[in-house]
Amino acid sequence: MTDIFNNSTEKNPHEYLCVVYVMYFDEKKGQIPLLMYPDDRFRSNKKYMRPIEYHPIWFLEAEDLDHIDLEYKGYAFFGKKFTAKSDRKKRRAGLESETPETIVIIVSLPIELTIFGDDLVHKLTDEIRNNFEDQFYEVIESEIARDTVIKTPKVQERITKGKKIKVFMRELIDNTVKTYFSNVITKISDSPSLKTQKAISYFSLKGFKLSDLSTYGGENGFSSVELFDSEKRSSDEFASNQPLSITDINHIEISQELEVTVKNNTDRDLTNVSITITHLKEFFEKDVMQQEVDFWFPYEELLFVSPIVPHIDEYLFSVTLQDEEGNGQKILTQRIDLKSIKKITS
Amino acid sequence: MLSDEMTDKDIIIRNYRTSDYQATLEILKELNELYDIGFNENQWRESSGLRQFKPNLKRITLIVELKSGEVVSMGVIEAQKNTLGQYIGYLQNWATKKGFIGLGVGKLLADRAIQILQSWGCDSIRIDLPYKTDKKLLDVFGKTGFHPILTVLEKRF
Repeated sequence: MTDIFNNSTEKNPHEYLCVVYVMYFDEKKGQIPLLMYPDDRFRSNKKYMRPIEYHPIWFLEAEDLDHIDLEYKGYAFFGKKFTAKSDRKKRRAGLESETPETIVIIVSLPIELTIFGDDLVHKLTDEIRNNFEDQFYEVIESEIARDTVIKTPKVQERITKGKKIKVFMRELIDNTVKTYFSNVITKISDSPSLKTQKAISYFSLKGFKLSDLSTYGGENGFSSVELFDSEKRSSDEFASNQPLSITDINHIEISQELEVTVKNNTDRDLTNVSITITHLKEFFEKDVMQQEVDFWFPYEELLFVSPIVPHIDEYLFSVTLQDEEGNGQKILTQRIDLKSIKKITS
Repeated sequence: MLSDEMTDKDIIIRNYRTSDYQATLEILKELNELYDIGFNENQWRESSGLRQFKPNLKRITLIVELKSGEVVSMGVIEAQKNTLGQYIGYLQNWATKKGFIGLGVGKLLADRAIQILQSWGCDSIRIDLPYKTDKKLLDVFGKTGFHPILTVLEKRF
């Protein structure tokens, strides 16, 4: 998600799926970020903060509308405002200590994942409110205390307390986001809606494995993301290993072709296999190549050659196995970026 | 070297594997020396002989292997959709290692290739032969139903 503002040099290899802003209303400075997920350093990054200035959430009274959205440079921002208990001495005339804190939660997602925005912002708001509603003012006090020049032991204690609460808040956001994507994608994978297809395409092109035989691991990955029905797994023997693997990918410059070599790792014939190479055009997947393989011998390598579409660098290679009832099961999906594969010039 | 004509019991006909790369490279070099087929070593890569799937094209490289594991012959079969919408099967780069020529290996390979191309639904099958092909070879193919219909001219760059 760090390519959110088209800065490829800052691309995060772990590809966070969303950015969460937790903000409060400071009576002297206006809306200030209290916490940013996944990286708190985003709060000092203009690229991340700029869209927040445009977000119409500022014009709303808390609880007036359920939530409000903004689309900005290919990303959707879902904002929700609410008030929380306060016992903090305010720095503006007319405001009492008990005057509630105004909190804003904003979730930013690529527009391909807009389908998840409403639900996710509600879930995050509910979780954060339920767990931290009475503690927000302490975190705010801690934020304000950080700016004081002389940090007395009392001020330091206040800062430490706020930091601790933020650690738990971050953990809650992290868990909520991961659980949310893990669950919701599995549930909607059978839905044929365009928005769902866009989301699945997005995940595929961003390198999340769509295969139901494997999951996306890693510390920052969504380890239980499964885009297809996990109950459709075939035999144990089949599931214990990747049935297919890509052994080579080449870009043939002279003929402008993409060559993908795939190996059947199983010791049995695969029949009725369908191979597609697609690319994303706006919201739609477009087939570049579709081939049917009637039989695929054990351990045999096959070569798939597809033309390349001018000015398109990202493709999605997928292999589907048809069962006897004609149901398709994706057994291999791989994003291919022409910029990162071997070029053959002769 | 074997003196008698071979039968299908003496050999195994199978698909190309990447481990056949070196053997096929040698056979193709020999063929190029004999007939100048325009073979470029850099363009014959490990994956070149694999069963290939491409829009409007299917290709298999068949390998003839002795029971001992030695690769002695190869041939590429290809089915291509032409501009008239017909699927034409081609037998190309048919070559047998020196020392095994004349033992009927090529004939066994061609029989298998024809079976495969027929099963792919080809409307016809064509064989590319050198321009100055021996008339005896034309007669051999003529007996199995192949007749000369085209002369292909080529300009190289």
